[in-house]
Amino acid sequence: MTETPKAIAKDRAPLSGGGLRLIGYYWRRLTRNRLAVFGLAFIIFLALVAIIGPFFTPDPTEVDFEAKNLPPVGFTITHSTYDIKTDQFITTRVSGNWKHPLGTDRKGRDMLAMIVSGARVSLQVGLLATGIAIIIGTIIGVMSAYLGDWVDNALMRFTDVMMTFPFFLLLVLIVFIFGPSLAFIVLAIGLTGWTGTARMVRSESLSLRTREFVMAAKALGAGDGWVVFRHLIPNVISLIIVIATLSIPGVILAEAALSFIGLGDPTVPSWGIILEEGQHSLTTAWWVAVEPGIMLFLTVLAFNFLGDGLRDAFDPKSSV
Amino acid sequence: MAEKNSVLLEVKNLKKYYSLTAGIIPRHIGDIKAVDGVSFCIKEGESLGLVGESGCGKSTLGKTILRLEEPTGGKIIYRGTDITALDKDAMRRFRKEMQMIFQDPEASLDPRMTIGQSICEPLVIHNIGDDKQREEILTQLLLQVGLEPAQANLYPHELSGGQKQRVGIARALALNPKFIIADEPVSALDVSIQAQILNLMLDIQRQRGLTYLFIAHDLSVIKYVAHRIGVMYLGRLVELADKQELFRKPLHPYTEALLSSVPSVKTKDRKRVLLPGEVPSPLNPPSGCRFHPRCHRAMSVCSSEDPALKEVSSGHLVACHLYRG
Amino acid sequence: METGNIDAIVLRVNELRTYFFTRRGVIKAVDGVSFELRRGECLCLVGESGCGKTVTALSILRLFDSPPGRIVGGTVCYNSTDLTTCSPQQLRRIRGKEIALILQEAQSALNPVLTIGDQIIEQMRLHLPMDTNEARAKAVRLLREMGIPSAEDVLGYYPHQLSGGMKQRVLVAISLSCDPRVLIADEPTTAVDVTIKAQILDMFRELKEKRQMSIIFITHDLGVVAEIGDRAVIMYGGKDVETAPIPDIINFPKHPYTMGLLECLPDVAKEVERLNSIPGMPPDPSYLPSGCAFHPRCPRALDICPRQEPPLVQLSKEHKVRCHLYG
Repeated sequence: MTETPKAIAKDRAPLSGGGLRLIGYYWRRLTRNRLAVFGLAFIIFLALVAIIGPFFTPDPTEVDFEAKNLPPVGFTITHSTYDIKTDQFITTRVSGNWKHPLGTDRKGRDMLAMIVSGARVSLQVGLLATGIAIIIGTIIGVMSAYLGDWVDNALMRFTDVMMTFPFFLLLVLIVFIFGPSLAFIVLAIGLTGWTGTARMVRSESLSLRTREFVMAAKALGAGDGWVVFRHLIPNVISLIIVIATLSIPGVILAEAALSFIGLGDPTVPSWGIILEEGQHSLTTAWWVAVEPGIMLFLTVLAFNFLGDGLRDAFDPKSSV
Repeated sequence: MAEKNSVLLEVKNLKKYYSLTAGIIPRHIGDIKAVDGVSFCIKEGESLGLVGESGCGKSTLGKTILRLEEPTGGKIIYRGTDITALDKDAMRRFRKEMQMIFQDPEASLDPRMTIGQSICEPLVIHNIGDDKQREEILTQLLLQVGLEPAQANLYPHELSGGQKQRVGIARALALNPKFIIADEPVSALDVSIQAQILNLMLDIQRQRGLTYLFIAHDLSVIKYVAHRIGVMYLGRLVELADKQELFRKPLHPYTEALLSSVPSVKTKDRKRVLLPGEVPSPLNPPSGCRFHPRCHRAMSVCSSEDPALKEVSSGHLVACHLYRG
Repeated sequence: METGNIDAIVLRVNELRTYFFTRRGVIKAVDGVSFELRRGECLCLVGESGCGKTVTALSILRLFDSPPGRIVGGTVCYNSTDLTTCSPQQLRRIRGKEIALILQEAQSALNPVLTIGDQIIEQMRLHLPMDTNEARAKAVRLLREMGIPSAEDVLGYYPHQLSGGMKQRVLVAISLSCDPRVLIADEPTTAVDVTIKAQILDMFRELKEKRQMSIIFITHDLGVVAEIGDRAVIMYGGKDVETAPIPDIINFPKHPYTMGLLECLPDVAKEVERLNSIPGMPPDPSYLPSGCAFHPRCPRALDICPRQEPPLVQLSKEHKVRCHLYG
């Protein structure tokens, strides 16, 4: 008596292969979500820009004296400069050109170069800080759930305290003592941003611990270590991926916000720094603020779409 | 022949309490007495059916016997060895012989492992065989439970409920156990699949000489599978007898009510013993006989004295003041 | 053998077809179901998962998700109105007031943040011109009728304070609050303990006798059908494969699926060495076998069965089958 597998109702997966098939299954579920695909495409594009862009663009700190406040290609703007000799305002019309496709700022720095370098900074900060936060959060969450009792209590109270920690004041303090530095910003965000992850990982681990397949593993004779590494963690990874993807935009924005209010690292041209400078010349050189703004907007959107898509793809109950 | 009838498992006064605490500094305020003093034996090769409604503690009893929940009191004696308090390493040896089939086929399989990996997991844990030997054992098991070897690479979500339960059975058989506790193995399945799985379990029992503790709430299923049947109510065994005897002559009023409530295709116009009210909470069981508030034959002694499980006739035990043992 | 008042047909379903149009294809959840419900009778829709019985019930009141589901054919006739095509306003007047539906999961059908009283009274105020006091009084009467002790207090309880069996009774009380003529109950005795099951079945029996209610009772449990049903419609693969009065279904089943179901049921009153099971699995509605949906599992399949859908054969006044063996 044989039965035909029920795989026909969902994606029919080939009967060979192992873990790769599972990844393929989730990939197919993810790519059915158009917004998630857009998000993923944009992030890949951004990563490419960040990695190989700097080879094709001039040094962002390089200054082109002749081309200050140049608009992007296709735009024309009128400059009004005060000529000492004639004691008059001379208005000239300036157009963008392909030498500086995205224009320049008031110091003459190429906008495209700065945006590309900003992409690199944002991604680095995003990935690093999120990485630190996720790792700390996961360890604390899993330990808390699995060891239980007083360990759980202690860790969770510690998490509560960290949640109320005035991260902002810490940053101001760091900047005050050490001067603004990107490394410290990354550390500060990472060391204070793990609390949400810890809570979610703990709650997921707790619910997994009482799932029958964990009890089944114990009935088979599995020890604690086996259960944690072979059953709990693989089932939590999807949650961690989703949390990470959805945290990255927050981190990127945090760095941008810090730079915007002047706590950023002025030596590293990130989008936030550019924005900060751009706000002074909104009327005369609007592109200096708008370009990093658009990039931030799209990046945050992309990560959010991807994160939502991943969450739906991993959730067995959502029909994708 | 004496070997055949030897006692495989003996449970003595087994208790499992869950303590309730309240307050910021946890204070013990009471116990949920899920299993409150259960004793029985199972002989080698037989199937003992445990039946009862929700809250009676039968599932908890099953888990406690396998030490998946730690007993609060009493003894579990497996083949002469007291396994109640064995440490983890010593217990591991026994785990090879005592296995469990779970109720929800969906939840009892790790969704991120192929069914082949799930079935071989016990072999890996206990370091049995090399890769090739495990492949062979896997193929054998899959065939024995009615699946195809090619399906080993499928994930649980790609199988139907009945197929998943077959995987659960295969996994339980991987270590060649002698004793299997089946906790409601068919209640989550469609009717036509139930029969398939029940037949499978009976076939396997015959082929491998297994002993079953079969837990279910459905009396019709228990009747088909078990040799002896125990009825549980609120953490206690209220009646224990051979199958034929229990159905022909139920002694305990609760058993009578249960039997008369089962919807049946064949008998119509049965005398229905209607049970008023609902099962009380295991946190605060009634005094004396736990069943007395709902019992249609309660006497005055029932509210003050708790009846013990006594043998009333050969092989037929009941815990009820109506019968002097 | 006639059951109910054959002249008083309350609800007539004719060749109902409800399809779900999903990205992955068309799911023919209900594919040609016909039956009639007579006044005062309990008609059981019987089948396993995926056979379409719940969707049939939802289709009567058009309660399924409308994309992706759509009634693509057939009629549902109530009081000379076709419920499949009537306006939403007409439908709303009928839902709850004329035809009441009790859904499967009692636990999730009740709103956890409203008291029982609020939920019953809400239902009544929606359809009947009553003030709150009248509605309260009626609610208490209903709860008592359902066998709920201390009905006055229960009005103030929240769903989580009640047990499963009580919640089921409350749901029945809510559905009766507007005195409907038809009650559709979807698996009210599944996932409930045996003794509570018996109480609920008794409650339904009383409803039928005292109130002359016409009930459509959806279940997969043939034992329950035997206890409470007057006639049964056996469903498989979205179609009604056999319709007959209960004694005929049990003693003289004609469709191989019905026979298989009866044989594979472990029954308390049966003495059987081995259950005959039906090989294979119930079909997935998105991938129904060709011809007769049951043919891959049928021990008596003929050559024609995979090729052609079986015709509806009227074996007697009350007994009809869809099977090539009789056509």
